[in-house]
Amino acid sequence: MAGLELKNIQKSYGSVEVIKGVSLSIDDGEFVVFVGPSGCGKSTLLRMIAGLEDITGGELFIGNKLCNAVEPRDRSIAMVFQSYALYPHMTVYDNVGFGLKLARTPKDVRDQKIRNAAKILKMEHLLDRKPGQLSGGQRQRVAIGRAIVRQPEVFLFDEPLSNLDAALRVDMRMEISKLHQTLSATMIYVTHDQVEAMTLADKIVVLDGGVVQQVGSPIDLYQRPTNLFVAGFIGSPKMNFVEVVVEAVNEDNIMVGSKDVARLGVPATVAGVKVGDTLTLGIRPHDLSPATNGAVVGRVSLVERLGNETIVNIELASGIPWLAVLDGDQALRVGESIALAADPAKAILFDRTGQALLAPIA
Amino acid sequence: MKRSRASIIGGSAAIAATFVVFVIPFLFIILMAFKDRQQSALRDFSWPTGFHLWDNVFEVVRTRNWMMITAFVNSSIITVASVTLLIVFAAMVGFVLARRKTRFNGLIEFLILAGLMIPPAVVPTIWLLQGLKLFGTLHGMILIQVAYNLPFSIILYRAFIATIPRELDEAAVIDGARPFDVFFRVVLPLLWPVTVTNIVVQSVGIFNDFTNPLYYLPGNQNATVQLTLYNFQSQFSTAYNLLFTNILLITIPPLIVFMFFNRQIVAGMTAGAVKG
Amino acid sequence: MTAVAAPALPKRRSLYPGWFYAPAAAVYSVLFLAPTLASLYFSLTRWTLFDATFIGFDNFAQFFREPFLVQGLVNTVIYAVVTSGLKVVVGMLLALMLTSEIIARGYLRSVIFFPVLVSTVGVGITFTVLMHPTQGMINQTLAFLGMAGPGWLVDPRLALFSVALVDVWKGVGLATVIYIAGLVAIPRDYYEAARIDGATKLQNFFYVTLPLSRPATATVITLSFIGGLRTFDLIWAMTKGGPGFASDTIASVIYKQYQAGFYGLSTAGNVVLFILIAVLVVPLTMFLNRKQGHE
Repeated sequence: MAGLELKNIQKSYGSVEVIKGVSLSIDDGEFVVFVGPSGCGKSTLLRMIAGLEDITGGELFIGNKLCNAVEPRDRSIAMVFQSYALYPHMTVYDNVGFGLKLARTPKDVRDQKIRNAAKILKMEHLLDRKPGQLSGGQRQRVAIGRAIVRQPEVFLFDEPLSNLDAALRVDMRMEISKLHQTLSATMIYVTHDQVEAMTLADKIVVLDGGVVQQVGSPIDLYQRPTNLFVAGFIGSPKMNFVEVVVEAVNEDNIMVGSKDVARLGVPATVAGVKVGDTLTLGIRPHDLSPATNGAVVGRVSLVERLGNETIVNIELASGIPWLAVLDGDQALRVGESIALAADPAKAILFDRTGQALLAPIA
Repeated sequence: MKRSRASIIGGSAAIAATFVVFVIPFLFIILMAFKDRQQSALRDFSWPTGFHLWDNVFEVVRTRNWMMITAFVNSSIITVASVTLLIVFAAMVGFVLARRKTRFNGLIEFLILAGLMIPPAVVPTIWLLQGLKLFGTLHGMILIQVAYNLPFSIILYRAFIATIPRELDEAAVIDGARPFDVFFRVVLPLLWPVTVTNIVVQSVGIFNDFTNPLYYLPGNQNATVQLTLYNFQSQFSTAYNLLFTNILLITIPPLIVFMFFNRQIVAGMTAGAVKG
Repeated sequence: MTAVAAPALPKRRSLYPGWFYAPAAAVYSVLFLAPTLASLYFSLTRWTLFDATFIGFDNFAQFFREPFLVQGLVNTVIYAVVTSGLKVVVGMLLALMLTSEIIARGYLRSVIFFPVLVSTVGVGITFTVLMHPTQGMINQTLAFLGMAGPGWLVDPRLALFSVALVDVWKGVGLATVIYIAGLVAIPRDYYEAARIDGATKLQNFFYVTLPLSRPATATVITLSFIGGLRTFDLIWAMTKGGPGFASDTIASVIYKQYQAGFYGLSTAGNVVLFILIAVLVVPLTMFLNRKQGHE
C-alpha cells in the first residue's frame, strides 16, 4: 500500500501562482481531508496528485515513487468527481468496468470484480441501468464503485457530496467512512464543508490562498487553531472575535479587556506581549453561558429557539455581532441586555499578524 | 385551448397560398413523370392520359448505357465516403478545438470561417488534382467534398462538444484511457445526436451537389446523379416526360431523408448557421 | 509532433493531442488553402495549365473593361442583395406566421422547408419549364386570368430577377427555420411586459420581436448574401447566363472562361469573387454583430 509525500509542490498558470509550495506527508491508510474556502487551491492540489494537472514545481511521491511525470493510469489512484462524471452512454456495469476493460482484464475476472464492487455498495440491482435512470445517491454509488473496482492504493474524492441533498449527504458520509474502514486504503478528500472534514478525517489540511494553514487531527484544529483563519474556518457556528487590549501579562496567562469584554485571564504564550498591546480574542459560541455577572455584555438582537439549544445573536457594546449557543430553551426577548460568562481556558488570543498565542500543552 | 376563428381563416389562406406556391411545382413534376412524350410536350398542368410512369422510369434508367445506375452508384460512393471522413475528421478537430486553448485557436477559427466564405479557386484546384493524379477520380471528388464541407461540420461538433463536461474526459483518463480511447470510446459515442445531424445535412448537400462534380469529375463513367439531368435536354427536342421522371427519381433520396430526419436537419441547419 | 530535446522534467502527453488536427488539416490545406493561394499567382498569368506567362494585372483590367464581364460583376451584387433581402422579409413573415396560433403548422413548415433539400438543378429545370413565355404554366395561367405574362427568362431586363425569385423559392425555408429558432428563443416575459405597458401588436413587433431576433437576421443575411454572391448552379440550370450576358454572374463567368480555356482569366474571376466577398461580407457581418453586442 502507499502513502504520499508532497515536497514544496507549486502550481502556476502563467504568472498566477495558485499553489505556493505545499509540503505534506500522508501515511498509508490515512483519511486526509483538504478543506478551505472556494479558490483556496484544494481541488487543484488534488488534481495534481491525480495527474490531471501538471506540477509546476516540487516533487510528488506516491508510495516512494516520483510521480511528477507519471500518467494518471500508472499512479495507482482512483478518483470520484463532484459531478460523478459517469459515462452517459454506458450501463452501470460498463461504467464500473470501463477501467478494467481498458487495462484488458480478462472478462471473467472483470465480471467478478464488478459484481464484488456492486455488492460492497449494495447496487447489484442497478447494474443494467444507464446513469440517466439513477437518482443522485445511486450515481454517487456508481462513481465510488468505479473507483473501488480498480483497487487503487489511493482514493481521491473531489467534493463528492456537494450535489446531494442534506439527508443523503449524511448517509453517504457514513458510507464513505465505513468504506475507508473496510478497504483501509489511503483516501484524500476535498471539501469546503468543515462538518464533512471534522467527521471524516484522520487528518485535516486547511488551505487558504494556495498555502497550507494548518495540518492536524480534527479535534486539534478545533481546540488549538494556529491562526485566525483556521479558528474562523473550523467549527460551526463560527468562532466569535473581538479586539481587546492587554491589561496585564502574567506568568502563564494574559489579562485582557475592552469595552465589550470585562477582564478575562486567558492562558497563552506570553513571550513578547506587553501591557497596552491590541490582541484579538476568540471565543466559540458554545463556550458562552448565561451568567448574571458574565464578562461579555451585549444586547439580544435575534433568538433562534431550537428546543435543545438556543442560538442567540448579540450585539456587543461596540456594535460587533456575536453568537452564543446556550444549552436548553432560553426564553430571551429581542432587545433585552444579556451577560454571558466565557470559559477563559477555551478562549484563544491572536496577535496582530493573526497567529494564535496558544498556551503550551500542559 | 380552442383555436380562434381568425387562426382558422388565416391558416386556410396560408394552406391555399403555400399549396399554389410550393406544392404545385412538385405536383407538376409528378404529373409530367406519368405522361407520355406527346402529352408532356404540352407542358401543362393536366391529368396524364395514360399511366406511363414505369415506362418512363425504365427509359430513364436505360438511357446512355444505364448511365443512371452508374450515376447513383457514383453519387452513393461519394456521399457515403466523404460523409464518413467528414464525421471522423471534423469530430476530432471539434474535440481538440473545444477542449484545448492555445494561441493557435484564433488562427484555426479564422481558417474555418474562411472556408465557409471563400469560393474555391476552381482552375488551380483542377491543376493541383491533375498533379496529384486525382483529377476525374472518385477519390479525388471525395477528398474535395471533405475539404469543402469540413468547416460546417467542425462548427456543429465544436458547439456540441462544449456542452459535454470535461470531467468525463478526466474520469476516463483516471480509468486509464489514452487520448485515443478518450475520444473514440467516451466522447465520440456521446456525439451521436450531432453526428446524425451532420450525416443528414451533409449527405443531402453532397448528393445534390452539381457544381463540384461538373468541374472535378468529368467523363460519362464518372457521372453523378445531378449531371444525368442533362441527358434529356437538347436544343432540338427535349423529352419532358423523361426529364421530369429523372428529376423525380433524384428527388426521392432527399425526400426519404426528410421524412425520417426532418427534425435533425432543421436543428442542424439552424444551429450551424447561427454559430457560423 | 517531432521529438524535441527532453526538458528536465518530461512533459506528460496532452489529453487533447495536436495530431487530431492532422487529417483535417492535411485535406483542407492541400485541396482548399493551397489552390486558393495559388490562385493569387495564376490570376496574374496567361495560363494553359502547362505553362503560365506572367502578365501582371491584365486579367483584372479585362474584368473591369469588357462590358459583359462588368455586367457579371454588377449582376452578382444585385442578385445577392435581392435574394438576401427577400429571404429576410419573407422568411421573417413566414416565421411569424408559423409561430402564431395557426392551424396546420407542421404541414406548412414541411412544405416551406422541403425545397431546401431538393436538387438545385432539378428546381432550376422545373422552373425553366414553368416560366416558358408561351408554353409555361405560369404564363398560361396568367393568360387564363386575362393577363399577359412577362418573358420571365427571355427578357434581358427580367432574367436575373426571375432566377433570383426561384432562388428565394428554394431557399426561403432555411431562412424561415432560422427565424423560427430565433423567435421561440425570445422570452415570453418581454411580450407580457410590453402588454402591461399597453403596446399594440405592431409596437410589439417593432420594439420587441424585431430587435430581439437580430441574431437570426444577421445569420439569414450573412448566409444568403454569401450564397447569393457564389451562386452558380441555379443560374446555369436556368439561363446559362443568358439571354446574351443578361444574367451572368461572376461564378458563371468563371465557368465560361474555364470552358473556353482562358484559365488565367477564369482564375482572376475567382480572385475577384473572393475580394468581392471579403469587401462586402466582412464589413456586413461586423456591422450586424456590432449592433448585437450593444444589447
